[in-house]
Amino acid sequence: MSRRNDGFEFHAGLLQRLLDIVYRVINFFERWDRLPTLLAAVNLGVFRDRLRAHNLHHTGYGIGTSSDWSAGRERWRSPDGSFNSLDHPRMGMAGSRFGRNFPLPECVPDSGDELLDPSPREISQKLLARRTFIPATKLNLLAAAWIQFETHNWFSHGLPEPGNEFKIPLQPDDDWPERQRVDGCMQIRRTLADTTPRETWLGATPTFRNTNSHWWDAGQIYGSSHSRQADIRSGTDGKIAVGPDGMLLEDPTHLGVDLTGFNDNWWVGLSLLHNLFVREHNVLCDALKERYPAWHDEELFQRARLINAALIAKIHTIEWTPGILGHPALDFAMHANWSGVPYRVMRAVLGKDNEAAHGIPGSPTDQHSAPYAMTEEFTSVYRLHPLLPDEMNVRRLDTGKQVCCELVNMQGKSTRRFMEEHGFTNLLYSFGTNHPGAIRLHNFPNFLRRFEKVGQPLLDVAAIDIIRDRERGVPRYNRFRELVGKRRVETFDEITSIPGAADKMRAIYKHVDRVDLLVGLLAEDLPEGFGFSDTAFRIFILMATRRLKSDRFFTDDYRPEIYTDFGLDWINNNNMKSVLLRHVPQLGPALEGAKNCFAPWNVL
Amino acid sequence: MAFTITIPGIIRLVVVRTPDEVLAVNDASMVERSLSGRGGLVNRSVAAKLAVFRTPDGDIWPAFRDRLDPLRVAHQAALEAALSDVRPLLRRIAPEIAELGGYVRDGAADRSLGVIVQQAVGRLFFANYTASEKSYYAARTLQTWLSPWPLRAFWIRRSGALQASLDRIMDLSRGDMACAHATALAMDNIVRSIKLMRRLARHGDNLAKIEPLDALAQTLRAPTRVVREARDERHVGPVRLRARSLVLLAVESARRQRPDPGFALFASAWNRCPAHGVVPALLADVWQAARADTGGSPEQRRDLQTDQIPVSKNPPTAAIR
Ligand code: HEM
Ligand code: HEM
Repeated sequence: MSRRNDGFEFHAGLLQRLLDIVYRVINFFERWDRLPTLLAAVNLGVFRDRLRAHNLHHTGYGIGTSSDWSAGRERWRSPDGSFNSLDHPRMGMAGSRFGRNFPLPECVPDSGDELLDPSPREISQKLLARRTFIPATKLNLLAAAWIQFETHNWFSHGLPEPGNEFKIPLQPDDDWPERQRVDGCMQIRRTLADTTPRETWLGATPTFRNTNSHWWDAGQIYGSSHSRQADIRSGTDGKIAVGPDGMLLEDPTHLGVDLTGFNDNWWVGLSLLHNLFVREHNVLCDALKERYPAWHDEELFQRARLINAALIAKIHTIEWTPGILGHPALDFAMHANWSGVPYRVMRAVLGKDNEAAHGIPGSPTDQHSAPYAMTEEFTSVYRLHPLLPDEMNVRRLDTGKQVCCELVNMQGKSTRRFMEEHGFTNLLYSFGTNHPGAIRLHNFPNFLRRFEKVGQPLLDVAAIDIIRDRERGVPRYNRFRELVGKRRVETFDEITSIPGAADKMRAIYKHVDRVDLLVGLLAEDLPEGFGFSDTAFRIFILMATRRLKSDRFFTDDYRPEIYTDFGLDWINNNNMKSVLLRHVPQLGPALEGAKNCFAPWNVL
Repeated sequence: MAFTITIPGIIRLVVVRTPDEVLAVNDASMVERSLSGRGGLVNRSVAAKLAVFRTPDGDIWPAFRDRLDPLRVAHQAALEAALSDVRPLLRRIAPEIAELGGYVRDGAADRSLGVIVQQAVGRLFFANYTASEKSYYAARTLQTWLSPWPLRAFWIRRSGALQASLDRIMDLSRGDMACAHATALAMDNIVRSIKLMRRLARHGDNLAKIEPLDALAQTLRAPTRVVREARDERHVGPVRLRARSLVLLAVESARRQRPDPGFALFASAWNRCPAHGVVPALLADVWQAARADTGGSPEQRRDLQTDQIPVSKNPPTAAIR
């Protein structure tokens, strides 16, 4: 076992073992989310340790050697993520494999016809398709863009290529365009294959490679390769290239789309956040240059990147997450992840290296039971397309006028035109004052169910979301529950109380063990305040802290010699609101009184 | 009819015994060879037992690999191809076949039956494979490890015999896991067959009367049971497999209801034994060797076998399928 996980093992302390037993008893009587805040927060810590021990599985690196080492590289993040771990330089680098959250034999696709059963298209139509928009009223649309912005930092499976497509038979009354059909079927391309040599112990588990670096390094902005990084840089004072209007340049290979680290599935929401944090980067460069006038372009760029990436991670941890998972225990736990618990005695007793007491940043690096990697299951639980509305109200900050615009017209090659037409400030304000969709059944954006993407056949992204999990051997919903430590359900009604949903699921799936992961996650009844399911949340508890705890730059090297004192202060003293107000001060009134910038702003 | 037992926390088990059900369950998706150990204490202990059949880097022995495992498929095909040219292989192990023939005829041999069989099987892989009492003891230990007696299993592990046996078998197999599987586990089926041949030969003039192919049909034995797990709930015909059930395919009981030598080797299933051609030919040759008059060098006997035994003339694969 240890060899398979490249020698990494989880070591539970005495307190952890004890708490594990205590909470098995407590959870026998009561679910974690119904406990008092502090007890519930500790419960989450217990879940996390169990998951750290049992739910991290290495699949090999899928990459022969890391790029070349040169002295000094350890001081900042390499473009491709190599040498984050100095002992295991390939760990987490771009091109290395996705890991797994479950033992490898559990992660095997169905064989033969069962892979396509029941039809992903039927699920798309009968269970996922949006009939009327269901809004998530506690959030604003920036929250939706934010999470896609973040997933683009963490992973991508690359662009599917033609060949050996899945063929999904269509019902006679299906309105899928005739010219898109092959042999009367809908075609779905397969995920880009991993053609690197397979380790013998992988068994039947398929592997895939992450084209982006796995680290929480803001790679969506900075790119995951030397060449991409060179493309986005201005070459002076460490800055990222922007046009005379202060906005990102156009990608010469994707017209209408901004030139940035990773710009797949581009739309205005991503453009807003990229532009915002590119401005932040460039301001950081100015501030660093003022303090360290001898620093050249490279040093300024790399230090600003470190600081910017950490600030984004902090915003994600203590603002976005409690925003979408509005439970007091989570608010407490996420703050503890970043900066520790607010109790002085507890901090003293637990000691300065304790992550619960003092927060993960600055605590010792630890991979727990496997080398760090994003996982297939992590990708699956972030299939949050229902967050996207089909249309939104675009508001002008100055006149208050609004027009209803379709999302399909603000994405892909239309993105830059749309941004120019409505302006950065108005669009930020509009995103702050519109709701995203609720992450539920029957709320998949319709434009994505018939989506034209350059270089791809017509896509039904809902059907694709279903087939991707199956193709990649991610267990279906019921077994997934079991494997993250929840009870299996016996009936459809146990999953959901959405009216009519259980019957529909029964008609399609026949047996509850066949329910697709995504369908179960979207159907599941949610804990109080939660924006997504408790089942998805289990993967999240594990991986959210892992992104910090495994990363040298958030742990061992989260220190002034690497970040500068100025940098650490900057991260401490800033948040989403200060970033927004620094770059777009006109948003002041809209943000007045806002505690969390991912909650709806004031409509002026 | 399948037999099901569920005691929450202790065991969740389904035993499948009729030929059609065995084949259907074996073929069902969600019925896997790798065991999670979930479902109860017994399920966990069986999973722990099978988990030892790995190389030190975690590579898995072939009969425990999952259906879709690309390496399993490749190795199965490669081994099947390597074992398909039966004649030269049997010529290679003619001395062992002669010894086994002697055993069937006389009930005695210079060394123990198991050692001879192990060496014959090992030489299908490496011409100079040499079995000994020690290596056969290692195989016996691993076979006993798989038997259902917890105390013996405990002692085998505790005393270090388990690891020593695995090491010895792997060493002799030069890292080839199919060879390890064959010389540690599969060989026992051949031992059982040859013991049955001996019993058959003892009575009257059976040896002269019964043709090799008939002798083979009467004595070929399948593994008593092979183990699977149902990951998710599934109905396979009338059999209900609850999620996380340990599934025992009682191949030998099923074979008795379906007297087709191919059945013992799953010859027409995805998991067909790569030795499905050579094993029946080998057994038939052993019978033939037992029939041959005493005397004559192994060389002469070999000529006799390859020229006269029907199974060698008709491709055995065809006969089995
Ligand atoms: C206009 C906005 C969006 C568009 C056009 C879009 C489109 C797509 C497309 C075409 C795919 C690839 C399907 C395939 O595997 O072939 C995809 C995958 C995915 N999308 Fe989106 N999406 C959008 C927004 C979002 C949002 C808001 C999220 C929220 C987290 C999200 C999360 C994901 C994830 C996790 C994947 C899987 C990626 C992978 O397999 O590596 N997307 N999306
Ligand atoms: C009387 C003798 C034998 C019988 C009855 C027998 C029967 C079987 C059966 C029933 C299986 C399938 C097991 C399962 O699916 O769990 C199997 C698999 C296998 N057998 Fe045999 N076997 C015999 C001898 C041999 C010999 C001599 C070799 C090697 C030379 C061998 C090599 C294998 C291998 C490598 C597999 C795994 C195939 C795979 O799934 O990749 N067997 N055998």
